[in-house]
Amino acid sequence: MSLPIVKISNLDKYFGRLHVLKNVSLEVPERQVVCLIGRSGSGKSTLLRCVNFLEDPSHGSIEVDGVHVPADAKGKERRQLIHDVRLKTGMVFQEFNLFPHMSVLENVIEGPVTVKGMDRSRAIELAEQSLESVGMLFKKNEYPMRLSGGQKQRIAIARALTMEPRVMLFDEPTSALDPELIGEVLNVMKKVASEGMTMIVVTHEMGFAREVADRVLVMSEGELIEDAAPQELFSQPKDPRTLALIDRYRTDENK
Amino acid sequence: MAVTTQQGKAPPSQAELLYQAQLRKERLFRAQVGASWGVLFLILIFLFSGQEIKLGSFQYQTIQLDSEFILKNLSFIAKGLGQTLLISVLSIFVAMTLALLAALGRLSTFPPIYAISTFYVSLIRGTPLYLQIFFFFLALPQLGINLSGVVAGVTALGLNYGAYMSETFRAGLSSVGKGQREAAMALGMTPGQTMKRVILPQALRFAIPPMGNDFISMTKDSALVSATGFVHELMWRAVKVGRAQFNNLEALIMAAMFYWVLTLILTYFQSKLEARLAKGDR
Repeated sequence: MSLPIVKISNLDKYFGRLHVLKNVSLEVPERQVVCLIGRSGSGKSTLLRCVNFLEDPSHGSIEVDGVHVPADAKGKERRQLIHDVRLKTGMVFQEFNLFPHMSVLENVIEGPVTVKGMDRSRAIELAEQSLESVGMLFKKNEYPMRLSGGQKQRIAIARALTMEPRVMLFDEPTSALDPELIGEVLNVMKKVASEGMTMIVVTHEMGFAREVADRVLVMSEGELIEDAAPQELFSQPKDPRTLALIDRYRTDENK
Repeated sequence: MAVTTQQGKAPPSQAELLYQAQLRKERLFRAQVGASWGVLFLILIFLFSGQEIKLGSFQYQTIQLDSEFILKNLSFIAKGLGQTLLISVLSIFVAMTLALLAALGRLSTFPPIYAISTFYVSLIRGTPLYLQIFFFFLALPQLGINLSGVVAGVTALGLNYGAYMSETFRAGLSSVGKGQREAAMALGMTPGQTMKRVILPQALRFAIPPMGNDFISMTKDSALVSATGFVHELMWRAVKVGRAQFNNLEALIMAAMFYWVLTLILTYFQSKLEARLAKGDR
């Protein structure tokens, strides 16, 4: 296998006195699609947000595509390393977080132009390609407030992809969507996966995990309790907590 | 039920009819409010018209204004408009700059910056504007600093409104959701870029309408600068001619009318601006 794109070593995270990540280690090789599942409050979103330092880990180190941020890096050096990590990661949020004061196209070129200093016309070219690939080019001059949740999320994916990241982080990308809009976003994510993007996806969509993921990780109370291929994990989970989780999703799906 | 199309040849739907009825009701309400304003204004004019009312044995003389005095001094007082506006515009720029700096300072994690911001707001809001104007004009010369009336006035008004308006900016900044900052950071923006490209544009849109209100109150508070005696704006001129000829009633009414009209005009632009911002993409 190839080198890991993401390497998390002995990560701990505290919120005040609450210990939310307990000595988590994880390697994600290139082109792998990893789904992170677990009950709410299990720490899966926090783990994801530690990868691009939206949450600052309390202990442990993160490495993304060769950029290693050691636990003891301080001040300016640390800020620079975090910046480098963020350039290698694209993030998609539950609440989309498009910039409401910018048109769709402006949202997508904002990163390349402001962060990478790219020529505006070149950025527009790239942005239009990304928007095309998520099927949203026809709304490029629209403002976000006039779009549906599914459309916003597809644009948010295009915005992240236009930065040409090495890994995409999805934080419950369909949890804020009406049920009939979930499919269009999952389809775009499948397409991104099929193009060979490395992805870490925090999700409650078991169908997606089963179908698209190469690997499913289960978190419980801040620990990774299971790590297996989806077929294996869903048919014969090793940990009773995983079984309980899967059962709960099944009853939810059958409701 | 009929679906109305853009071509709209079909008879109007019930929804359309209800909507039209609602529009008519709103228009009627506005027209009636407008007419009532007109009546109130006429009553006000009548009260100062000097007319005699006779109703049988009841006799009432409305207030007689010295029209000769008014005509003679109208242009003298009107000349103060320029100074009033000048002070207001200069002060609002000073105030906006200070307000923005104070609001940003309030977000700082560097203790001295945070302290300067909160200290400034506390000190200025804890003392009267009238005192501040006198302080810059009368107290500073004792320290060898001589400010002209306009400069002292603009400094005091700017500092004072800056402190109040910093709260407006702060509200605007905190109205921008945390997700916006995270999205910007995830793209790799620096804190400065995040502030300039993502947070401030949204915060300003939120803060502009209340800032319009502040500007309107500032034009009226600029009257306090007349107390220095060296700024010949509306209020100073009204007091000067009113006292000299013992026509304070007429002089103050004239100044009041100037302020009122000025406020009406500014309020009109303010509401236009507000409507335009509301229509935007928020």
